[in-house]
Amino acid sequence: MTIREKGYAHWDGQLRERRFPWAPITWLGIRLAFKKKYFKFIIFSSLVPAVVFLVGIYISERIEDFQYMFKGNKQILEVNPAYFKTYLSGDFLLFMMVMIMVVSGAGLISDDLKHNSLQLYFARPLSKSGYLLGKANVIVFFLLLLTLVPGLVFIIFKLLFAGDFRFLASYPWLPLSVIGYSLFVTGFFCSYTLLFSSLSKNRRYVSILIFAVYLFSDILFGFFYENYKNPAFALLSLKANLQQVGSWFFRLKPAYAVPWYWSLLILLAFGIAASIVLNRKVRGVEVVR
Amino acid sequence: MIAEISDLQFSYGPIKALDGISLNLTEGAVGLLGPNGAGKSTLLRILLGFLAPQHGRGRVLGFDIRLEQARIRRHVGYMPEDDCLIPGMDAVTFTAHFGELSGMPRQEAMKRAHDVLFYVGLGESRYRFLETYSAGMKQRLKLAQAIVHDPKLLFLDEPTSNLDPQGRREILELIQDISSKKDIQVLICSHILSDIESVCSEVVILNKGRLAAQGKLSELRELQYRLYEIRIKGEGEGFTAKIKALGCRVEETEDKLLKVYVPTETDIREIFRAAEEEKSQVRHFVRSRTSLEDLFARAVGVD
Repeated sequence: MTIREKGYAHWDGQLRERRFPWAPITWLGIRLAFKKKYFKFIIFSSLVPAVVFLVGIYISERIEDFQYMFKGNKQILEVNPAYFKTYLSGDFLLFMMVMIMVVSGAGLISDDLKHNSLQLYFARPLSKSGYLLGKANVIVFFLLLLTLVPGLVFIIFKLLFAGDFRFLASYPWLPLSVIGYSLFVTGFFCSYTLLFSSLSKNRRYVSILIFAVYLFSDILFGFFYENYKNPAFALLSLKANLQQVGSWFFRLKPAYAVPWYWSLLILLAFGIAASIVLNRKVRGVEVVR
Repeated sequence: MIAEISDLQFSYGPIKALDGISLNLTEGAVGLLGPNGAGKSTLLRILLGFLAPQHGRGRVLGFDIRLEQARIRRHVGYMPEDDCLIPGMDAVTFTAHFGELSGMPRQEAMKRAHDVLFYVGLGESRYRFLETYSAGMKQRLKLAQAIVHDPKLLFLDEPTSNLDPQGRREILELIQDISSKKDIQVLICSHILSDIESVCSEVVILNKGRLAAQGKLSELRELQYRLYEIRIKGEGEGFTAKIKALGCRVEETEDKLLKVYVPTETDIREIFRAAEEEKSQVRHFVRSRTSLEDLFARAVGVD
């Protein structure tokens, strides 16, 4: 290896101020996620329910052609807000979202902490909020791909298959509900992932935390609920809380007899705590030694 | 003028890290020296715009250190001391990424990344994963990311740490090339005094948050004292005591060679008079070049 195989030349361009200084971080994060083992498999598996629900929308419009499958029970394929809520807060989709966070989100901050690269980021014209936004948007990209995009596609295809706007006339607020709930779930999972990612320099440990906290909270709820039959224990479960809030977004009766706003408060409190911890953890890193 | 600061003060709680520092850094390579806790890191943080001083003002490349921190960082390159990388990527992507973050368009950043990687000697291994790089290669990579956006000022924090002699020589050669021929100003923070001596024309020495010395190396060597190497025949305790009384600092090496730091106001003939009075025979009397180590030791008040 020889030094100066090529001489140094000045760059004659102009450094510009970016409108979104975090954008390179996001695009790099997305590209790196796709390079990870099994990630493509997980993301495509996560889209399977979207395909199934889309087929369901098609069948609901051609129900006469599929009578033999349902034996007169049309109720099963009625496309209404509950149909959307079932997709967006379904156990499988939430689980796959957690899997995506484990694979693509665990290392977002922890890798930077482990490899001291925070100081490189902050030696650039990039603020702390810009850095966090850039990292958060990696998760936002993938989660909106699983929530907002299919949700809106369902509405568009429902209208296309029906050939009229009766559906939208019946539920004019539904697009807003889909957007609102998708953003809410994504925002919550963003803070959830970044919080754990900033707690450790070990990506594996972070992955386990992301997965275990989600699963353990649900197990805890199941255990207490089965033993004491008190629906208030649903507040212990992240999944149940998300589903409770989902019911409100889609104007449905919550699955558990607990006010939905308690769940909202718990999730918001989690998000606020996460932002406080993130603020401290990222600031606490030595930028120059 | 690359940086000018006046009456800079900064405290971490009750601990004063910088206490009224005023500096003017001129063009070329400048070495920043000082023992641990002297305030070097705090000064670098302030110059990079990471910290706002509690008192005093200053400008780096003409930008205010209080108000235009992002602009400072846009035009400054920084090579940290620690190994830092982003796992799972190659050197080209890594370097281009930081070029983009500095404000370069993506394609330009990518093209430029190739150029600087060739320049620092990583041309052949630019597509290798960073995790497989050796310590020397990581050091070059850090230099590459620091110069990818063609900064006007380069901050190098311990650029030769963890390097073998060959790697150290090569990095110093690069720094020298950058600072002397490429119109990029360089501020090097290092504990290896010989590195500073070989690259920098100017030094800033900090001690306990205050400015202990600053100026051109050649001038500092001349102004403060002159160094002579003296060898005398026989026991020289009386002679040593006499020249110490004249205000000289005396160090004796293992082979009985006296290194005498003579204040500028002292007449050299006084040394010979002292030798005559003590009946000591001067066998060797040579004017020596003071090293940065001597200068550093005097500035911070240690042997």
